Order: sequence, then C-alpha cells, then structure tokens
Amino acid sequence: MSMENIRNFCIIAHIDHGKSTLADRLLEATGTLDKRQMQAQVLDSMDLERERGITIKSHAIRMNYKTPEGKSYVFNLVDTPGHVDFSYEVSRSLAAAEGALLLVDAAQGVEAQTISTLYQAIDNDLIIIPVINKIDLPSAEVDSVKHQIMELIGCEEEEIVLASAKNGIGIEEILQAIVERVPPPMGDPNAPLQALIFDSQFDSYRGVISLVKVFNGEIQDGDGITFMITDRDYEVEEVGNLLLKRVRTKKISTGEVGYLICGAKNVRDIKVGDTVTHTKKPAPKPLPGYRQVKPMVFAGIYPVDTQDFENLRVSLEKLVLNDSSLIYEPETSSALGFGFRCGFLGLLHMEIVQERLEREFDQTIIVTTPNVVYKVTTTDGEMHFVDNPSKMPEPGVQEKVEEPLIDAHIITPPEYIGNIMKLTNDKRGILKNTSYIDPSRADLHYHLPLAEVVFDFFDRLKSVTRGYASLDYEFHGYMESKMVKLDIFINGEVLDALSVIVHKEKAYEHGRMICQKLRKLIPRQMFEVVIQAGIGSKIIARESVKALRKNVLAKCYGGDITRKRKLLEKQKEGKKRMKQVGRVEIPQEAFLAVLSADD
Amino acid sequence: MNPDGGLYIHVPFCHAKCEYCDFYSITLLDQIEDFVEALLREIELRAADFREVTFTTVFFGGGTPSLLSAAQLRRIWEALQANFRIDPQGEFSIESNPGTLDLPKLQAFREAGFNRLSMGVQSFNPQELKFLGRIHSVAEVYNSFENARMAGFSNINIDLMTAFPGITRETFRHSLEAALALESEHISCYTLIFEPGTVFYKRMLRGELSPLGEDEEALYYELAAEVLAKHGYRQYEISNFARGDHVCRHNLIYWKHRPYLGLGPSAHSFWQNTRFGNKRSLSAYVRHLKKGELAEDFRETLSQDDLMFEYIFLSLRLREDWIWRIFKPASGSRFTPAIRQRSSGCWRII
Repeated sequence: MSMENIRNFCIIAHIDHGKSTLADRLLEATGTLDKRQMQAQVLDSMDLERERGITIKSHAIRMNYKTPEGKSYVFNLVDTPGHVDFSYEVSRSLAAAEGALLLVDAAQGVEAQTISTLYQAIDNDLIIIPVINKIDLPSAEVDSVKHQIMELIGCEEEEIVLASAKNGIGIEEILQAIVERVPPPMGDPNAPLQALIFDSQFDSYRGVISLVKVFNGEIQDGDGITFMITDRDYEVEEVGNLLLKRVRTKKISTGEVGYLICGAKNVRDIKVGDTVTHTKKPAPKPLPGYRQVKPMVFAGIYPVDTQDFENLRVSLEKLVLNDSSLIYEPETSSALGFGFRCGFLGLLHMEIVQERLEREFDQTIIVTTPNVVYKVTTTDGEMHFVDNPSKMPEPGVQEKVEEPLIDAHIITPPEYIGNIMKLTNDKRGILKNTSYIDPSRADLHYHLPLAEVVFDFFDRLKSVTRGYASLDYEFHGYMESKMVKLDIFINGEVLDALSVIVHKEKAYEHGRMICQKLRKLIPRQMFEVVIQAGIGSKIIARESVKALRKNVLAKCYGGDITRKRKLLEKQKEGKKRMKQVGRVEIPQEAFLAVLSADD
Repeated sequence: MNPDGGLYIHVPFCHAKCEYCDFYSITLLDQIEDFVEALLREIELRAADFREVTFTTVFFGGGTPSLLSAAQLRRIWEALQANFRIDPQGEFSIESNPGTLDLPKLQAFREAGFNRLSMGVQSFNPQELKFLGRIHSVAEVYNSFENARMAGFSNINIDLMTAFPGITRETFRHSLEAALALESEHISCYTLIFEPGTVFYKRMLRGELSPLGEDEEALYYELAAEVLAKHGYRQYEISNFARGDHVCRHNLIYWKHRPYLGLGPSAHSFWQNTRFGNKRSLSAYVRHLKKGELAEDFRETLSQDDLMFEYIFLSLRLREDWIWRIFKPASGSRFTPAIRQRSSGCWRII
C-alpha cells in the first residue's frame, strides 16, 4: 500500500457525544467487522471503559475502505483517551494521526473537553473534519451547533458533515471526507527508522504490546531496535496491524500505524512518547514531544482488613503492568496499618485505579483524602516536595509553601455564571477571562488551586449548573499560598490517616466538619472521647463523644440464650473491623465516611 | 450433673398482640385446646430424659398463660406432677395479663398450685397503656392486684416498661410510685427494645417511632434503680428488683447456667451442655406431637469455650460478685486467654 492511500485519523468528542458508536459504524461500513462480530463499542475493551463510556487506554484499528470510484484506502483510526488526566497520552495519540473528526452532539453542543483536545489537535497540525452527530434527535439544534463549530475552528458551513451514527446517517460522507481532506502521512521510507510509541498495554502471554506510528523508515520482525529516550535495546519479535485482533505483517512501513512486540516485560520499560529507531542505523534524534509524566494527585490506599496487605501489594504489582503512570510505595499509618502511598495523574485516574483494584483484583480498600504535591521551602533554604501530609515540615521551620495551580476552562450556559462564580470563589479561583463561543455558551477561564479541584469541585460544578457546565484543565504552575497541615486528634493522639493540608482560611471549617462527622461515627466507649482538630499544637475545633451509659437489654425470654450468644458473637465480628487508636476503637466505616467527605 | 432445674411452659396465646412484643404468641384462641393436648404429649415424651432432675421452679410464661381455663391448668399440672419430679417447696409462677384476672380465676391458680403471680402491668398511665397496645386499664390493675392478694398470692411481680417513645420523667415516676404503693414482692423494669419483626420495629423503620437516645434510656434506667432502691428493692439482676428474698428463682436458673426444660412452641431448654428449642409455630408443634414426635427446631451442643463464654456474659447480668470466681460448673477449668478475649466487649449488649 502506498503512503498516498493511507489515512490516519482520530475522533475528538466529549463523553456521550457518540464517539464509540461512530467508530462502530465506520468499522461496519468498511467491512472491518460484520454484524456478528459487533459488540457494542468495540474500542472500549475494558469493562470499566464500557460502563463509564470513557476511553482510558489508546487503541488503534485498521480499516480498508474502497471509494465508490473503486480506489482502495487504508484507514487507521487512533482512539484517544477521553479525559484531562490523560492529556499527555492524548497528545501522543494525536501525534500519530494527520486528521481528526471533531464530533459534536447536536443537542449538547461544544463542551470544554472537546475544545482542549481540539486545540491540541490543531497544535499537532491535524486537519479537522467537523461532524455534528445525533442530528435526528428531537432536541437537536443543528444550526446553533453549526455556528458554534464555525466560530471555534473558523470553518465554512459546507465543511460540516451532518450525521447520526446510531442510525447510520452521514457515514459515507464521513468516509469520503477522510479520503478527501485528511492528508496522507509524510515521511521518508529511506531515512533511518523513527517510530512513535503512543501507548502500551500488557499481555500476560506476550509481555508489552506497544502501539506505534512509523514516521520515517520501516520496522520489521527481527530488527534490532533502540528506544531513544530510555536508551534500551530490544529485538523486534513481532510487528503487525491492528484489526479486531492483531494481524502479523512482519513489517510496518512509513506512515503506518501498528503494534510492536519486543519482549519487554514491564510497561514501565517502554515510555509513551518514546521513539523507536534501529540500533545499527539510528535516527539522529528522537521525535519531539516526549515528556516525563508526573503524578499530580497522591493518596494512601489501605486494605480494609490489615491482613490483606500482601494481597494488595500483589494486586498493585499486577495493575501497574498495564498502567505505567501509577506509582506507589509502602507507607504505614497508625490508624490504618500498612498500605501504599500512590501517585495518580488526576482524580479520574485515582478513581479508575480504585475501581480496578476492587473489581479486577477483588480488593476491599480504603483510599485516604487525596492531596496534591506542595513545594515547601524551609528556613534553612531547602526545598521539599511534599506529597503526603505527614511529610509537611513543622509550621515553625516553614519559609514558604507553594501549591500547584491549574489553568481551567469552564464552558457553561450564561445563566449559571453566577453559581459558578460563587463556587470558584469558594474554591479560591481567580477569573482570568470570559469569552463567548456563541450567545448560549460562555467560556470562563480560571486559575484554580489543584488541591481545591481534587476535593469535590467537579461534582459541585455539575450540581450548581445542573450538569450543563463542562470543565477542562491543565497544569499551570506553582503559586505561594498559605497552606497548613491540619491534624485530627482522638484523645490527644493524631489520626494520621485524616491529616490534610488545607488553606489556612479553610482549616477551621474543615476541622469542624471532620470533628462533627467523627462524633457521630465513633461509638461510645467506657470513657469520654475527645476529638480535636489542630494546626501544629493549636486546637481549632473540638467535639466529644460522651462515655457509654449503662446499656440495658430487655428480657431474655424462655431461656433463649443461644440467640443472645449469637448476637454477641456477631458483635465481636464487628469489632474485628475496628481500628484501635490509643484506647479508642474506631469502626472502619468512620474512616470511610470521613474520607468520602463531600458535604 | 446437678439434678436441680427449672421447668418452663410457653403458652402462646394473647387476646391481642402488643406492638412491641416479639415473644411467640398468636390470637387464635380456639386452638388452645389443641395446644393443651400437644403439650400433654410433649410432657410425656420428655419425661424419660428428665427423670433424674428435681425441678425446683415451674414457670408458665407466654403469651398470656392466664388465658388458660382452670380445668386446662389443672390437667397440665397433673401431667407435670405425674411425669416429672417437682420439688413441693418450689417456686411456681404464672404470668398474667391484668385484664384477664378475676377472683375465681386467681383462686383457681392457687388451687392448681401456683404460688407466684407475675402481672404484665407495664405502665400506670392510660395513654401509655394504649400506646403499648395493652388491653387492660389502670383500674383493672388495682382490682387484679387486690384479688390476687385475696386469693392468697404472697409473692407477686409487677412488670413495668420504660424508655419507650412518649414516656416522660413524670409519667414514669408515677408508674414507679403506683407500683411501689401496691407493695409487690418483686418488680421487673424493662427498657423497650425495637425487636425486628415487631410492629414497633416496622414503625421505627418508617420513621414513625424513634427510639430514645442512649443517654435518655440510661436516665430512666437510673431513675428506676434509684427510686426502687430507696424503697427497699434490691437490684439483683439488671432489670429485676426484689424485696427481701423474693428473687425470681426461675429466672436465676437461666443466668446461673442451671439446667432447664422448656415445653411448648418456641420454648428453649438447656440440659447436659446442650441447648435446644422448639419450633416457633403452634401448628407445626401440634402436628409433630400428634404424630408422637417432638417439635424441636434446633439442637446444639456447647463447646467448653461456648460454656465459659456464656457463663461470663450471663453472670454479667447479676449483681452477685462473680467475675474472678473460678469457672466451675462443668469442668472446674479456669478462664482461658481465648475466653477472656471472646468476652471482651460483652457488656455492650448484655
């Protein structure tokens, strides 16, 4: 197949705008899949992806398309993850394509996430083909969405394809637009090999399987290759195309997308964004755009039953085989026992890890309040990266504390701007700019502390805008801020699992909220339990659980001692799940409830 | 084995079901005769196994045993006497509802052999009686009590209930004082529990009734203990108070890990380290016994650990200084570390 007849493209869409359905239709229309092989939303292969309707891993799938005039083309659909947490992976997948379908829901219009991915695509010089989907919905507002799109990318009305993926409308037009508008890949087949790794997954039989796009040269089975960033050498075991399954072709030529198996055993060994070249005839430099991915959000993960620590460790080991961005190290908490400090790309990533541990590995876990990484300069001039409240230097030796800031875009119907202002104000946001995509859609540009977004920002945004607003963000930089470490004490002992770093002005409110919650959750003991919140040695909130009174039970009738004994046995089971803090027994549920603090 | 024991007869009938009560009872009074027949069978079937035991107490509970006619009671008693060894100096109690007592009936109880009467009074406030679903009036309590004395009962218990929704310090104090004025030998004072399966429980789930807080419950409990102590009632068990030596010997058999035999549907027994209980259904009970077989629901033999564990939590109900006494009943062995661990925290629901 000549490069002239190759089209590499991706689909940019907001969640629920119909990306997976469109992909399914394209696969069907090109005969890549027949109806029998169709499983709704072929591309999202993890259960979790199907359920949440989001793409977590990148995928690629090859289609053969014959135009009505009889010309044959090869299409490679590169499917990108759909969330800001994975924006780096998104950028690498985009780099593998020359064109993008911008898919917008006719009823919902343009959303924040679409815009940020779109800009990334434009930055990568991708040709954009705007498509309005779901035009046959009763609530479709095709004209207004057309205007939004024209405003956004400066295209002509005629360039916009109208479609309904669900009902097969506009599919042929889309296929033709791909042929006509997406340029064929460029590159020099005779130059030294340069192939971009844009994602990897782990297969228990084959090891790491990487997705690659060949920019220059070609790659074949048996080639000696070098990964230019990590500087590791491998031998190609197998290369091929990705149809529904992997199809071995022994060779991937310039401009093509395919898979690569080279015997790597750990996804960590192969970095997304790395460049593959031939060991003997290396390219002069790697492809641009590689970045070391750093976790933004940290939290402790603990087994609910302390005896499951070993199981959790094994599960995490397996999980990271397929998730190179998750990092973890063991930590100990006096309240929760042995567990792991984990670093995540973002909140969604954290949720995904949590869900995968629970579902795929059947672990019952507690996740502590997530926090971001603070830069703390101490009076001796040293700078510390604090990713765990327990590592926060004492207030006395702190020179300054800096916290990460994000650049956020909130797209919303104008009637919710007031509510959003209130929320962002509460979240210490700074409004940088307001612009209008069209009269019914404002784009609010904010600087927000990441720590505030990590808490409950997204849920609250959804609730104050009745689900209409969408949010997208990227890391902006660090800003000096008055952050303090807030500790929770139970009868004078620190409950380390509940320590948090919060803004000074919010410490009081947060401390009081946690104390009140705990008061309701800690069962009475034989003595009074004092719950306090404090910064350093200064107590800012206090609650107490009164001592247990005489607990009287009624009649034990007709001598049914058996039942009474069983009740006691059952209670004892319950006690197993208590964590002992000093002399105080705290039920597991109390931690869970406090850690899920959202009101 | 200790040959002393208690005998319990469960009479599962009531005029009306109280909304808080989860004891097994039904209101189909036309089945009383079937019940009596079955009970007589059960007495005969159990006789052989319990021949060596001397029963020092007999307790007719329910339900409302006072619903039985004098003739029915007499037949049951005759069967008991004929099949079991019963200590003539024993304590023979019958539970009663003040609404079902008149002088002839009380005299019949005495003649049948009962020497202790337990009256389910619960409250001396009309609204509270109504709330609890009791069929009797306050006036009937006074009448019945007077009749009981006239019939010759010199050992009477009054059951009171406390810590139920709507009770106030004043109404409870009034009930306590009214009970004290009657100078009964024994007063039981139970805190209301919302038991699964009762109407109260369902009403609680629906949010119509809310249990008092723990502190509130404790206040009523302490009030009872304080007022009763002041009038010479000794709190010998968490919910039971007695003047002089009028403790309920039958109930002590349960708490002291002594053997007892329970007859009738849902009745429980403890014998030779084995606990067993009858089916909680009159029709099943009658059906089995008609066929000449027992109507047991379960049977479990306790391990040494179980025994010790029970011994501890049962003893915890009693005032008697028990805790560091050596565990003796069955084996003479001491508390094992395992037992200590098992027992920790028991106070919470005992």
